Amino acid sequence: MTIALETRSLTKNFGGLTAVDNVDLVIQENAIFSVIGPNGAGKTTFYNCITGFYEPDKGEVLFFGKSLVGLSPDQVTYSGISRTYQNIRLFANMSAMENILVGEHARLHSTWIDAILHTPGVVKEEKEAVEKARQLLNFVGLAGLGDQLARNLPYGAQRRLEIARALASQPRLLLLDEPTAGMNPHETSEMKDFIRQLRDKLGITILLIEHDMRVVMGISEQIAVLDYGAKIAEGTPLEIQGNPRVIEAYLGSGAASGLHNTEAQTA
Amino acid sequence: MKKQFRNAINTGIIFGIITIFLFLIGFTGISADLLGDIFRNKTAAPVSGLTFQMVNMLIFLGLIGLWAGSIGSHKEKDQTTDSYGSALLGGLISSLVHGLLVGGLALLVGTLDKNGIKINVYLSEVLPAAVKLFILGKTPIQGALFHLVFLTLTGFLGGFLSRSLGRSAWRVRWTDKSNEIIAKVAHMPIFTKIRSNRILLYSVYGLILILVFLLPLRAGQYWNYTIGTVGVYVLLGLGLNIVVGLAGLLDLGYVAFFAIGAYTMALLTAPTPHHLMWNFWIALPIGIGLAAITGLLLGAPVLRMRGDYLAIVTLGFGEIIRILSKSDALTSFTGGPKGVPSIGGPTLFGKPFESPINFVYLIFIAVLLIIFVTNRLQNSRIGRAWEAMREDEIVSRAMGINTLKQKLLAFAIGAAFAGLGGAIFASRNQFTGPEDFSLMVSINVVALVIVGGMGNIPGVIAGALVLKGLPEVLRQLQDYRVLVFGALLVVMMLWRPAGIIPSSRRKMEIEKEPEVQDISVEGREK
Repeated sequence: MTIALETRSLTKNFGGLTAVDNVDLVIQENAIFSVIGPNGAGKTTFYNCITGFYEPDKGEVLFFGKSLVGLSPDQVTYSGISRTYQNIRLFANMSAMENILVGEHARLHSTWIDAILHTPGVVKEEKEAVEKARQLLNFVGLAGLGDQLARNLPYGAQRRLEIARALASQPRLLLLDEPTAGMNPHETSEMKDFIRQLRDKLGITILLIEHDMRVVMGISEQIAVLDYGAKIAEGTPLEIQGNPRVIEAYLGSGAASGLHNTEAQTA
Repeated sequence: MKKQFRNAINTGIIFGIITIFLFLIGFTGISADLLGDIFRNKTAAPVSGLTFQMVNMLIFLGLIGLWAGSIGSHKEKDQTTDSYGSALLGGLISSLVHGLLVGGLALLVGTLDKNGIKINVYLSEVLPAAVKLFILGKTPIQGALFHLVFLTLTGFLGGFLSRSLGRSAWRVRWTDKSNEIIAKVAHMPIFTKIRSNRILLYSVYGLILILVFLLPLRAGQYWNYTIGTVGVYVLLGLGLNIVVGLAGLLDLGYVAFFAIGAYTMALLTAPTPHHLMWNFWIALPIGIGLAAITGLLLGAPVLRMRGDYLAIVTLGFGEIIRILSKSDALTSFTGGPKGVPSIGGPTLFGKPFESPINFVYLIFIAVLLIIFVTNRLQNSRIGRAWEAMREDEIVSRAMGINTLKQKLLAFAIGAAFAGLGGAIFASRNQFTGPEDFSLMVSINVVALVIVGGMGNIPGVIAGALVLKGLPEVLRQLQDYRVLVFGALLVVMMLWRPAGIIPSSRRKMEIEKEPEVQDISVEGREK
C-alpha cells in the first residue's frame, strides 16, 4: 500500500489561536478518509495548509513522498491535488463547460503565442479538452447543461459541477469540503454513491470534510476527528462512534461524562 | 400616503432645480434651436404671438414637465395599492411645485431684466434675449403664469401617461424588451440560415468589410479624421478589454502605454529633438514592444495589489508618464510641453501616406488584426484563465493558474495594443505632446469598455462609436454636448446596465442552433 498523503505535526497559528495543532495523518492511496469535528475545529484550515493557501508554521505535508510545504496553490494542483469548497465557488459568469475547461488548465500546455497562431497542436489539444469536458459533464450527470451559466444551475448541479471542475485537473487526491451541505436526504444519498464511484471508477483517493454523519459513517474507511485544531481520535467509523472524547467534543463535557456517570453531571 | 406626497414635493423641487439650472447655463435656448433644426421650423404656426423658437423651447420644457409628473406619480415601494387617484395627485403635486419654481424664476429674471439689470454680467448665459425667450416675450407675470400652468398641465399628463401605460418596473422591462428584440432579430430565419452556413456567413462578413472599407471614400476629410480617431479608440478599448473586461484588473492609467507608443513613434521618426528620422515601419514594432515591456515592468510590482488599490496605483502611473513627458528635466529628450512636431508617416511601396484616408485604412487593418488576436486569445486556455481570475482569483489559483504570470501577460498584451494605437495616432496627427495623454483618455477608454459591454469585441466597437463618435455628431450642441453626453450615458446605463452589447458565452457543448438542441442532447456522443 502506498501512502497518498501524510502530514507530520502540521501546525498553523493565527495570532494566538492555534487553528491546526500538531496534526499527524496518514492517508492510504485509494482510501476514502474523512475529517470531522465541530464547527471551528480547524478542518478547512487543515485543507488550506495542504493545498498551499496557507503556509503551515510547523510540520510537513508529504504527497506520495514529496513535500508540499512552500508550494503555491497552482503548484499543488499541478502535483495532483484538487479540491472543492464549503460554500460553492464556481466561476459564476462562465458556462459549465468553461468551468470544467478552466479546471483542465493545469493539464493543457498552449501558450499565448500558440493560441494566437492556432498551431495544429493547440487545435488538437483544445478539441480533446472540450471532449474531455463533455465526458466529465456526462460523468457527473450534467449532460445537456454545459452551455448554461454556472450561476443559473440548480444547487445540486452546482455542487456536482464543482466536483467535475476539480476532477478536470486529473487529481490523484481529491479534497471535498462538505459536499452534501444544504442537500436534502435524497440528494445526499446520491452524492454518497457518487463519491464512492469517484474512488471505485476513477481510482482517486478522497479526503472528505463532512458534517452529515450518515455520509461520513456510510462511506469512510478511516475517520480523523479534530477539535480545537488538534486530532483527538482516529479510527474506523465504528471506533469513532464509540469514542467518548469524540462525543465530548460534539456534545460538551457534560454529555460525555454523563455516559459514565449521570450523577456527576447534574452536580 | 403622506410619504408619497412628500416625495412628490421633493421630486418637484428636484426637477425645478434642474430646469432652473438648465436655463441659467443657457441650455433651454440651445435645445430650442436644436429642436428647430430637427423639425426644420415646421412645428406649428406661431400661436398668439409665440415665435418658433418659443414653441420649441416649450416642447423641451414640456418634456421635462412630463418626466417630472411621471416620476412624481410613482407610488411608494411599500405601498400596496396604486390607485389612479393617488398617482394623478402625486403627479399633480410634483408638477405644481416644478411649475411654481420655474414660474418664480421667470418672474424673477423677467422683473430684473425689465428694471434694466443686466443679469449676463453675473451669469454669462442669461442674455436679455434669453430672458425674453424664457418669458415668452410677454410681461414677467404673464410669462411666470404661463410656465406655471404649462408645467402643471404637462406634469399632470405625465403622471396620467405613466400610470396608464403600466410603468411598474419599466426600466427592467425596457432592458428585457431590448434584449428580446435583439434576440428575435438574431433568430430571424434569414440570420439563422446565414449562421448555419459557413460559406454564407463568411461572405456576409466579407460584404460588411467591403462596405466598411468603401465608407472612407465617401466620407470627407473631417469624417475620415473622426473615423480614424474612433478606430484608435477601438484599439485602445480592445486592449483595455483584455485587462479590465477579461482579466478583471481595473487599470486607470492605461493612457501611459498609449503615450509610450506615441512618443516612441514621435522620437524615432521626427526631425526634432533627436533627428533620428527612422522609418515608420521600424518605429511601429519598437513602440509596441516598448509599451509591452513597460506593462511588464509596471505590472510586476503593482499587480500584487487588488481592486481599488490597483486602480489608484495605475492612475498615478498614467499621470507620472504625462508629467515626465513635459518635465523640464526631460525637455531635451521628449520635447517638453511643446511636444514633438512633424512626426513621420508610413510609406507603402514608395508612396507616402498623406490624407486621413490612408490612415483610416491603416487603422482598419490594425483593428482587424487586433480583433483577430483578441478573438484567438479569448477562446483559448489563456483567455479562460483570465476570465476565471476575474471571477474568483483564489479559486483560479487552485485550478493551477499562476495568477501573477497571467496578470502580467494580460497587462503586457493590453499595453502592446495601446502602444500600437499610440504609434499610429501620433503618426497620423504628425504631432504629439503631453496634452494628448491626459487622464481623460484613460477614463474615456474605461468608459467605452463599460458602456459598450465588458469582455466582448462587438461591445468595445459599439462603445467606441458611442463615446468617440457621438460627441462629433452632437457637435451642434456646442459647449453643451458634454452635458447631453453625460445624460445619455446615464440613460444608457439605466436601460442597458450590462452595456450596449452585453457579453454572451460561446456555446461549446452544443454548437448547433437552439432548434436542434433537443436532438443533440440525446445523440451527442455520435
